[in-house]
Amino acid sequence: MSIQTPAVKTSANGRKKGLLDFGIRLSAVILAFVFTSLILLLVKADPLEAYKTLVTGAFSTTSKITSVAASWVPLVIATSGLLFTFTAGLWNIGMEGQIVLGSVFAVGAFRLLDNTAMDPTLVIIIAFIAGALGGILWALLPGLMKVYGGVNEIFGGLGLNFVAKTIAIWLIFGPWKRPGVASSSGTEWIDIKYRLVNMPGTNLSLVILIIAVIVAILTAILLKGTHFGLKLKAIGKNYKAAYLLGIPTTRYFLMAFGMCGLFAGITGAILVTSKQYSLIPDAGFGYGFLGLLVAMLVNYHPIWSSIVAIFFAALTIGNTQLQYMGLSTYFAGVLQGILVLFVVLVDGLRKRLVRRM
Amino acid sequence: MFTKRSWIFVSVLMVALLVLTACAKPTAAPTAAPVEPLTVGLLLVGPANDAGWSQAHFDSMAYVQEKLPGTELLYLENVYTGSTAHTMTPSELAADMAAKGAKVVIFNSDDQKDHAIKFAQENPDVFVIHASGDTAWKEGKNYIDLPNLKNIMGRMEYGKMIAGCAAALTSQTGKIGFLGPLINDETRRFAASSYLGAKYCWENYLGKDPAELEFKVTWIGFWFNIPGVTLDPTQVADDFFNNGYDVIISSIDTTEAVTEAKKFFAEGKQVWAVPYDYSGACEGADDVCLGVEYFNWGPSYVEAIKSAMDGTWVSSFELVGPDWADINNRDTSMIGFNKGGALSAENAAFVDQFIAELGAGLNLWTGPINLQDGTPYLADGEVGTDLQVWYLPQLLEGMEGKSE
Amino acid sequence: MKITLQHIDKSFGKVHANDDINLTIPSGTIQGILGENGAGKSTLMKILTGYYQADSGEILLDDMKVKITSPEDAVVRGIGMLHQDPLDFPPMKVIDNFLLGTKGGLFPNRKQVENEILRLSNEFDFQINPDAFVETMTVGERQQLEILRLLWLGVKVLILDEPTTGISANQKDKLFATLVKLASQGLTVIFVSHKLEEVEQLCNRVAVFRQGKLVGEVDPPYRTDQFVYLMFGKNVEVGEKASFCTDDTYIKLKNIGLEDYRLRLKDINLEIKSGEIIGLAGMEGSGQRLFLRMLAGLMRPVSGNIYIDGVDFTGKNYHVFQNSGVAYLPASRLEEGLIPGMTLTEHFILSEKHRELFVDQRSAMDLTEERIKTFNIKGTPVSQVEQLSGGNQQRALLALLRKRLRLILMEHPTRGLDIESAIWIWSKMKERCKDCASIVFTSSDLDEILQYSDRILVFFGGLVSPPINAKSTTVDELGQLIGGKGW
Repeated sequence: MSIQTPAVKTSANGRKKGLLDFGIRLSAVILAFVFTSLILLLVKADPLEAYKTLVTGAFSTTSKITSVAASWVPLVIATSGLLFTFTAGLWNIGMEGQIVLGSVFAVGAFRLLDNTAMDPTLVIIIAFIAGALGGILWALLPGLMKVYGGVNEIFGGLGLNFVAKTIAIWLIFGPWKRPGVASSSGTEWIDIKYRLVNMPGTNLSLVILIIAVIVAILTAILLKGTHFGLKLKAIGKNYKAAYLLGIPTTRYFLMAFGMCGLFAGITGAILVTSKQYSLIPDAGFGYGFLGLLVAMLVNYHPIWSSIVAIFFAALTIGNTQLQYMGLSTYFAGVLQGILVLFVVLVDGLRKRLVRRM
Repeated sequence: MFTKRSWIFVSVLMVALLVLTACAKPTAAPTAAPVEPLTVGLLLVGPANDAGWSQAHFDSMAYVQEKLPGTELLYLENVYTGSTAHTMTPSELAADMAAKGAKVVIFNSDDQKDHAIKFAQENPDVFVIHASGDTAWKEGKNYIDLPNLKNIMGRMEYGKMIAGCAAALTSQTGKIGFLGPLINDETRRFAASSYLGAKYCWENYLGKDPAELEFKVTWIGFWFNIPGVTLDPTQVADDFFNNGYDVIISSIDTTEAVTEAKKFFAEGKQVWAVPYDYSGACEGADDVCLGVEYFNWGPSYVEAIKSAMDGTWVSSFELVGPDWADINNRDTSMIGFNKGGALSAENAAFVDQFIAELGAGLNLWTGPINLQDGTPYLADGEVGTDLQVWYLPQLLEGMEGKSE
Repeated sequence: MKITLQHIDKSFGKVHANDDINLTIPSGTIQGILGENGAGKSTLMKILTGYYQADSGEILLDDMKVKITSPEDAVVRGIGMLHQDPLDFPPMKVIDNFLLGTKGGLFPNRKQVENEILRLSNEFDFQINPDAFVETMTVGERQQLEILRLLWLGVKVLILDEPTTGISANQKDKLFATLVKLASQGLTVIFVSHKLEEVEQLCNRVAVFRQGKLVGEVDPPYRTDQFVYLMFGKNVEVGEKASFCTDDTYIKLKNIGLEDYRLRLKDINLEIKSGEIIGLAGMEGSGQRLFLRMLAGLMRPVSGNIYIDGVDFTGKNYHVFQNSGVAYLPASRLEEGLIPGMTLTEHFILSEKHRELFVDQRSAMDLTEERIKTFNIKGTPVSQVEQLSGGNQQRALLALLRKRLRLILMEHPTRGLDIESAIWIWSKMKERCKDCASIVFTSSDLDEILQYSDRILVFFGGLVSPPINAKSTTVDELGQLIGGKGW
C-alpha cells in the first residue's frame, strides 16, 4: 500500500501536535466543569460558591494546605507507580489492592516488632520495607498471571483487589481484632512511637513529603531519561516489535509491575504510619483508583501528574467543606469522575478525527 | 467565571499557594471565652437524617440552641474509619472545626474513639465530648487523664430491656432476632439487656418457660451497612424473618429492620420490629413497629456545653439514666421509649407495668446470671455493678450468637 | 459504471498528494493505476471511496455529480474497495462477516446468505467455506472473500489496491481471471499497482502517477521502458546478479520438524553457508514463516536440532539467537518491526545494547542523523515511524539492523515497494553478504527470488523441497513446484 500521508513531519509539526493535544485536553476539562456546574444548578446549588468553597476549603489555612499535601503524598506516589505500568501498556487496576497489601504488611511488621527493644525508627523503616514487599508481591501476581497464564491484568487486578480487601477484613475481624471487639473500625492503633510526627501546626509529616517528592522525581527521571524508561515505553507501544528489537518483554512487564507494587506498598505504609495508624478494610482509601484517574488525565506524563495530583488532592480536602454548605461530599468524586470521563471521551473523538485527517 | 478558567491555572495557582503558605504561621490557638455563646462542632458517624443514632445527636443540637441561645453549630456527616466521604481523618476534621471556631467538639461514635483521644491530646484548649466512650471513667479499664475530655452515655440497658420486653410479649413464635452492629462492650451489654428484658416479660407476664424463648444475635460488623465490608443488614433481617424469627430488635444505627418488617408485612407475614436510637424511628411503620427505645442527648449536652461556657467544665464520665417519673420527658430523661402502633393495647399495658417496675427498683442485672459459656457471672442475689454491666465479657447463657 | 474525475486536488500539509487529476474510466474497463509509492494513487482511490474528501474537484458517476461522504456511502453508490489488508473480522466466521455488512433485520436469513456465498464462490472458482473462521484463511483467500462480499453487496466499481501483495501465484492467476470476467460483465475495475508486469498483463488502459500528478495515460500495446520512464522520470536499471556465497557452513539444520495449529513440516535438513542468500518460495502459509521464525529462535522446532557455528542452539530463545548475530525483519512493519508513536531516534537507541543507565540523547541524535543519511530515509530524527512512507519504514528497519550480523531473516523485504526502493534495499543487503552475513528471505515475487537467491527452498503442502540452485531453475519450474507439481 502506498502511503499518502506526508513522508516527513518536522519537529515544529510535532510541537503543534502537542499543543493541539493540550488544547483538546483543556477543552475536556472546561467541558467537565460546565457539566458539573449544570449538575450543581440542577440540585439548586450555586456552582461558583461550590468551587470557591472547594478552593478555599483546600487552601485557606496552613492546616488545610498541609492536609492537601498529606493527601497529595499517597496520591502522587500511587500515580507514580501506575505510570510505570501505564508506560508499559499495562492497566494495573489492582493498584488499590496493592496498597492494601502494603498496609497489611506494614501493620504486620509493627505488630511483630511491637514490644521488642528495637529502636522505633528502625521498626518504622522495617515496616516500610515490609509494606513495599507486600505491594510488590501483590503486583507481581497479576504480572505473573498475565505473562504465564495469559490472564489480562485488568481481570487479575480486579480479582486481587477483592482478595486484598477480603484479607484485610479477615485480619480485622479475625487474628488482628481488638480484644473483645469485632468491628470494621480496624485494628488496634500502632504505638504512638511508631507514628510519624506532623510538622508543628500542620497536618503533614515532613518525612512523607520528602518521600513523595523523591518518588515523583525518580519516576520522571526513570521514565524520561533512562534506557529502562525508553524500553518500557517501547513495550507499551508495541511489545511485539519491542521483543524483536531485543527487549526482554516478559522481564520488563514484571519490572513495571514490580515498580508499581513497590510504590503501592510504600503508599500503604505511609497511610498506616501517618494517617490511619491501623489496618482498616478500605486501607487503600481509594488512592489507587484516584491514581488511575490522574494518570489518565495527564496522558501518563510524570511531571504533569504530580501537578494534577495537587488538584485532585485539593478536591479531596476541599470536598469536606462542601458539607458545611449542605452539599454532599461525594461531589468532589463526581467532579473527578466527570473530568476523567470527558478527557477520555474527547481523546477518543480526537483519535477519530486524526484518523480522518 | 471560574468555569472558564482551565485547570492548569488552578493547579499552578495551587502550587503557588502551597509554596507561599508553607512557611505561614500556624493559626492562633483558640482561647477560652466563658459565658459567651460557643460554637459547637459535631462529628456524626452517619448521615444526620439516618432516623437513628446520628439523627438523635443532630436533633439534640436544636435543643441545645433552644436552651443556650446563640450557640453555633458546625457538623459533618459520615465521619468514620475508611469513609469515602472524607479524606481527612476524624481528628483532622475536628481540628478543622476548631480552626473554624468550635470550642466544643462532639465525637458521636465509638468508631471515632482513638481520634477523639488524639484530638483531645493535641488540642488541650478545645473541650471534647465523646459520646459512648469510657476514656474519662476513672474506674474504667481505659482511663486516660485528659482534663478537656468528657464521656456521655445513656443507660440504654433500660431501653433495651423495654425493647426486649415488647418483643417477647408480641412474638408468636418465641423467636427473637437481635440485629447487632459490631461486637464490643457496649453492644454485648445492650444485647444482653434486651435478652434479660425479653426473658423477664416472657416468664412473668406471659407465664411461659424461658427455655422456649429463642434469642439470636447476628452482628453485621459495623454500626451501619458498608457494602463489601459488613454484612448487609437488609439481608440479615430477611434471614431472621424467613427463619421464623418474627420480631427483630435492632441495635444498629439505621432502620433496615423496620423497612424489612414493612416489606414482609406487605406480603402478608406477621412480623414486627423494634428500631433504636431515634425517637421518631417508628414513624410511618405503625403496622410493624412495637416501639423505639431512644436517646435524648439534649439535656446532657446542654449541661456539658454550659460548663464549658461558664468555666465549670471538669473531665467526667457521665452515665445518665432515664427519669423514671416520665421517661419521655425531653428535659429530664436521657432514655425514653415511644410505643409503636403495632404494640397491642394489652401488651402496651404490660410494657407500662414493666417500666413502672424498673422505676420502682427492679434490676434485671441481678444474679444468678451466667455467661454464654455457662460461667457464673453474677451469683444468686448479686447485683451487677456499673463496671460489671459495662464490661460484660460475653453474651449470656440462653442467647445464641457470637460473643466476640 | 462510468467514472469521471475532474480537477481533483488534495493536500496533506505541504504535500500535494493529488494535483489537478482528470480521469475518465468507462464501464467495463480494467483501468490500471500505476506509480511508485507516494505518487498519489491511494489518495485518489480513498477520495473515490469516501475516506477522504477532495479539497476541490468533482466526482461524476455515470455523468451525475455526486458527493461521496464515507466508505459506507461509496458502497451504497456501488463503489467497493479491496484493501491491501482486508478489513474483515478475523475471529469470526465467513458467513458472519457477510451478515455484518447487511442492513438485514435482527434475525438474518443465514441459510440464504450461505447459499449465495457458495453460488458466488463457485461462479469464480473460489473455495470459500462459509463456516470457516476468517483467521484461519490465507491472505489470498481473505481477498477472495472480500471480493465476493463486495459483489454480494452489489458494487459496480471494484477498486483493488496492490491486490497481488501476499498472495500466491496461483491465487493471482485466479484473481486476474476473475477481474477479466467481471469486466466482461460490465463492472468497472480499477487496479492500483506499482508492478509493471501485472499492469501490462491485465489492464485495458493505464494511468501513470508521479508525485501527485497524472503524468500519462497509456493504451496497449505497452512498452515497459515507457512506463518506467513515466513513473520515475528517468530510466532505472536492475543491478547485476552477484553472489558472495562462501564455503563456510554457518547454520546447520538437522531433521527439523515444525508444527503449528494447521501445518506440519518434517525432517528439514539444510546447511546455510556464510554469505549465502536463500529464497523461500511457496504459497502464502505453506510454512515459510514458520521456517524463518524457527531460524530466529522465535519458534521452537518440535524435533531436530539447530546448530549455529557448530553450537547447538535448539530451544534457546530469540534473544540468545539475536546476541549471536541473528536478525529478523518481519513483514508487518508497523505491527512487529517498528513501534508507532516512537521516533526514529528512539528506535535507534533501543536497537543498540546499552550498559549505562541514562540515555545519551546527543549521541543518539547524531547516530540517527548519520543513519538517516546513509539509508536515505526521508524523515528526521524526531519523525515518528508511522509518519514515514512504507518504503522509508523498510529503510528504517534495515537501518536498525545491528552492525555485525551473521544471519538476516526477512519476510517479504520489498513487499509494497517500488522498483527503485527494492533495488536499493537489495544493494544494501548484498553489502551485508559481503560482510559474511547469510540471508534467508521469503517473497511472493518469484522474479525477486530468482534474481537474488543463491539457493531456493520451495514449500508446498507441508513439504520442503531440497535446495534448488537458483542458476539452474526458472520461474516456470518454480511455479510448477509451488503449485504442487513435480514433487
